[in-house]
Amino acid sequence: MKDIARQLMSIKVESMDMLNAQIQMEGKASASYLAMASWCDQHAYLQSAEFFYHQASEERSHMMKIFKFINDCGGNAMSPEITQINHDFSSLEEIFETALSQEVEVTKAINRIVAASKKNNDYAVENFLQWFVKEQLEEEKTMRDILDLFEIMGRDGIALKLIDERIKVE
Amino acid sequence: MHPMEIIHSSRFYSFFQSDKERCFYIDLGQKTVRLSFCQLLSLRQKIRNIDIEDHFDGDGNKHGFEILALCNKEHLFILNTHEILDLKELLVGAFLVLDMGLSTSSIPQKI
Repeated sequence: MKDIARQLMSIKVESMDMLNAQIQMEGKASASYLAMASWCDQHAYLQSAEFFYHQASEERSHMMKIFKFINDCGGNAMSPEITQINHDFSSLEEIFETALSQEVEVTKAINRIVAASKKNNDYAVENFLQWFVKEQLEEEKTMRDILDLFEIMGRDGIALKLIDERIKVE
Repeated sequence: MHPMEIIHSSRFYSFFQSDKERCFYIDLGQKTVRLSFCQLLSLRQKIRNIDIEDHFDGDGNKHGFEILALCNKEHLFILNTHEILDLKELLVGAFLVLDMGLSTSSIPQKI
């Protein structure tokens, strides 16, 4: 009997499920960054707003990369349903702390898929995710560097404006 | 219909593979449905997304039925809780066999 499933899909079903969950996560991260961009815009932190608009777009491009990969491998990529995005923040620092936590969660999820793909000998998935492993290191570093500015420059008045001016879109 | 090999059976349903047509069939009792691999993945996703807890929660799913549209709405089934659970079991078992590689499996047999 032919192994038709293997002929029609190059990756394991378990990997496909995990990658679909990752699509959901990246989609949610993108929407979450949009909410942060909106808050920054409304509070006149214009550089930060630009930064988060860019982040939102980047997360969406990550999502699309995974989406296309699943379909290219013969799998079934699922368009994510995004709900319950938090729009309430109390400070600029809280926003960047939330962004860092979000990136850490994404890193953990990527690592879980890499671990599972290694366990299942799903080398195509493992190889595909190497780019994401490197990307997540950069994302976490960016957020940490911005949070360091709050330690250096303070959290009141003009310090926040100066921090905002130092936030650059990569 | 070309000769098929049975991949897995549950209490109510059976899952077959057709090498010749490079597709799959599920015997759902009332009728047998032909599925391409993509349609099979889509069915699996639909079944996985069904929250069976809702069937035991008055507000979630009062009647305990699910309407299942298969193969781009070519087929429509109304299944009760037992049938949904059985279909879940069928697909889990079938994918387990498919994903393990069939060359060494002793489960498939000509019918």
